[in-house]
Amino acid sequence: MVTLSRNEPEYVRYEIKIQPAPDVIPFPSRFKVRVKKHRLAGLLLKELVHYRGQKEVVTSRPCVYGVFSGPVGGFAPREDKCVGCLRCTTQYPEMVEIFRNPDRENLGDSHFTREYVDSVHYESQSGRVPVRGAGYRGKFGGEGWDGMWTDMSEIVRPTRDGIHGREFISTAVDIGEKPLLLQFNSEGIMVGETPHCLTIPIPMLFDAPPPSARTRALTEILVRSATETETLCILPLPEILEFSIRNRHVVPLISLSDRDKLSELGFAPSMIEMEKWDENLYGIIRDQFPEAIVAVRLPYSPGFEDRLLMLVDHGVGVFHLVGSYHGRGQNGEFVRDLISAGHRALVAVGKRDRTTLIGSGGIIAAEHVPKAIICGLDAVALDTPVLVALQARMIGECVDWNNNQFDIREVPVDWGVQRLKNLLASWRDQLLEILGAMGLREVRRSRGETGRAMFQEDLEIEAFGEIEGYGD
Amino acid sequence: MEIDNKTIEQLITEKHTIALRRGFSVWPRGEFGKPPALGDFRWTADLILSTWIQAETGKPPTNGLEYRVGASGGGFDVLDFKFLPEDQWITNGNLIDTSISLNGRPYDKKIKISVPWYGGGMSYGSISDHVMLSRVRAAKEWGTYTSSGEGGYPDTIVPYKDNIITQVATGLFGVREQTIQYAPIIELKYAQGAKPGLGGHLLADKSTASVAKIRESVPWVSLFSPFPFHSVYSVEDHKKHLDWIKTINPAALLCVKVSTPTDVDMVAVGSFYAGAHILNIDGSYGSTGAAPEIAKKNIAMPVEYAIPKVHKYLVSEGIRDELIVMASGGIRTAYDIAKAIALGADGCVLGTTELVAIGCTRCSNCERGRGCPFGLTTTDPELSQLVDPDWGMRRISSVYQSFQFQLKDILRRLGLTSIRELRGRSDLLLYNKQHPSNDKYKMKKVSKPEEELRVEESVTDSVVE
Repeated sequence: MVTLSRNEPEYVRYEIKIQPAPDVIPFPSRFKVRVKKHRLAGLLLKELVHYRGQKEVVTSRPCVYGVFSGPVGGFAPREDKCVGCLRCTTQYPEMVEIFRNPDRENLGDSHFTREYVDSVHYESQSGRVPVRGAGYRGKFGGEGWDGMWTDMSEIVRPTRDGIHGREFISTAVDIGEKPLLLQFNSEGIMVGETPHCLTIPIPMLFDAPPPSARTRALTEILVRSATETETLCILPLPEILEFSIRNRHVVPLISLSDRDKLSELGFAPSMIEMEKWDENLYGIIRDQFPEAIVAVRLPYSPGFEDRLLMLVDHGVGVFHLVGSYHGRGQNGEFVRDLISAGHRALVAVGKRDRTTLIGSGGIIAAEHVPKAIICGLDAVALDTPVLVALQARMIGECVDWNNNQFDIREVPVDWGVQRLKNLLASWRDQLLEILGAMGLREVRRSRGETGRAMFQEDLEIEAFGEIEGYGD
Repeated sequence: MEIDNKTIEQLITEKHTIALRRGFSVWPRGEFGKPPALGDFRWTADLILSTWIQAETGKPPTNGLEYRVGASGGGFDVLDFKFLPEDQWITNGNLIDTSISLNGRPYDKKIKISVPWYGGGMSYGSISDHVMLSRVRAAKEWGTYTSSGEGGYPDTIVPYKDNIITQVATGLFGVREQTIQYAPIIELKYAQGAKPGLGGHLLADKSTASVAKIRESVPWVSLFSPFPFHSVYSVEDHKKHLDWIKTINPAALLCVKVSTPTDVDMVAVGSFYAGAHILNIDGSYGSTGAAPEIAKKNIAMPVEYAIPKVHKYLVSEGIRDELIVMASGGIRTAYDIAKAIALGADGCVLGTTELVAIGCTRCSNCERGRGCPFGLTTTDPELSQLVDPDWGMRRISSVYQSFQFQLKDILRRLGLTSIRELRGRSDLLLYNKQHPSNDKYKMKKVSKPEEELRVEESVTDSVVE
């Protein structure tokens, strides 16, 4: 079993250190505030008379968040402070209008919508779990992750109190090739096939950023963030060589054209990922880096399950299933169902426990991580959320690795590292909330446990199946 | 300096209160259109504005605002009723009964409420005592109840204890023998829909000295209730809890509030055999308090799915009539109540609707800083003055009136004389995925001023009491 950096003789509870990382690039306010100034002036005059010049009464403003707290009050509202409570416009409908800022509304794209951008923005800025009042505001259900709910347990369960509790919930996952059982000789020494795994403390790693978004700063941020959170980041081999990176938290992504550059790698990676399957290259990597875990990147092409099983027969134990940034396979199906299909194909041949499935594409919110794991992944590789956390803007639709345009600025590396640490900390805490509610003490137990989730299609049939019009 | 014997503080409160109440009245009329930033898929601008109209007039709006469904594209929003042809409608609405019993067992006190709903738990701390007073006075007027939530009794609501359900939740905040003995119904809250599997949250800014005193906690410290009850590890422990309450208050009816996991039907049966009179299933899409965003949408099923699941299972177990099922977590309108009952509930629990009636815009800033800028979900001494308990009571009571009016109208058009006849009648529902209401989530002006429109034909005066 390979551990990455934890050589401490004593157990240390895993923790990601968070601290505020405010925006370095101006972020549009949620709301715009429009005040009809001539009416405001009229109101002030009227109130001056009515309240006989009582300045405290006249200048008492309807906003408790400070939108009108500037030196000239409502004549120059501070839009950045507006939280959209609408008290001012409720009180003064003829004078104040609050509307959603189109600049903010237009952030993201059709999959990574403004709501998700807002969440990632808050999470990476604060490292905290988003908490708000007044219930859920969105659509009832929907396709993919939206049509899926995780289970909870009312009473009987071994975990307590989620992130506030004292009892430990493990978020560690193993990546690698595992025998179905361990064998020991009479002297207690392990014999036969041994696990070839590494353990990361969170079921999240960083996927390689798309070519359009690559910058030196981003590479440095990813490497340092992965190192400080004890996880992994996948980077193309040429980039690793260009920046002389030597770090076991970095997973070289090897394409066929990189074959000759493998020998230039200045360190022994704990894991290597092949951009696509090539038996010859697989053999070379195995020979050259016998200690490394070798993963194969596999797109959700039609019939990918058969390819998965074929590669398992060739000895591959780790797969990185790759969907589009919009969470689709090549035939348009959502990754939720594709992950399940891959997982079940391996279960059917009795090889699921020997393999590791990492997935990326369409996983853009904290809740998508446990949902993807419940559908069958061991871990997720984060792609677009990383860029959004670093305040990159999507220009148009960012569909996949090749079809996207991100406006990514040069940002301070320390700041970027903290943003990603905050994001991971927040998502991990939210994972703990989900696991705690389900009564699971380790994330590994949720893998493929679709019995601990509820799917809209099943619930609808059970609840509404007998109602006239259902299914029409 | 004083004006008209009023202090500066009083004048400021008065100034804002008058302006706010005018706004609640003016906006729904449509002369300024609709507030562009108001509403969301579940509570559309139409639903919020129509609730304001109902709070003012006691009747549903007649100016084209959609007051029956939201725009979530699922659940209640895609269900309709199969109304009878008009010549088969019941003509005398006064004959229609909207009351339900809260005890289906052959023993223990019989409690009947005049309308098939009561108020859900909102604690002192999460809301002000003025809001608590508004709610409980409305409950008293209508012969129903409101729940204390997990925060005990401020002194001001003690005189209304006969219309209060004492909530015993996992943090046991505000729970004493005295408060258990106060109430005719005791509610054991195992979980809540907004944050299933997580305990209650009262963030530090709202844990004021007065709140902390009742909760016997430290002021300005966040209070996260544990989850679940640390004294309950089994169904047997659950029964022990109910027995404990019965020992302290033998006359009380027992309500068990649970969330909606996949085995909610089993939970219902377990609660019945543990001795509960009422099961409150709290779906994940409602609630008023602070909750992690991840919990609201993603943990446990919406109540629309849980109600028939529980109902059918209780029927198959032969115990349906002995356990009262109250549904909550996303009940917004009279139509939601009727649909929930048709799906199998006996009645519903209202929370957000009552807050919207007294001015909530659903801005979701309840937990932030001093709390609600409308004086609802706050204990800030200045902000809470914005809600006068008498005004609040009238507004909530008027919404109750409108809801009862609409329920009678629905029953009348279904040919039913009692709300109890509607329970489990999902055969009277229609599933309409292409519900026209789902196109209503567009910011547009109200079609016409109220005065120019006639009362909808379906809502006739004959059903008004």
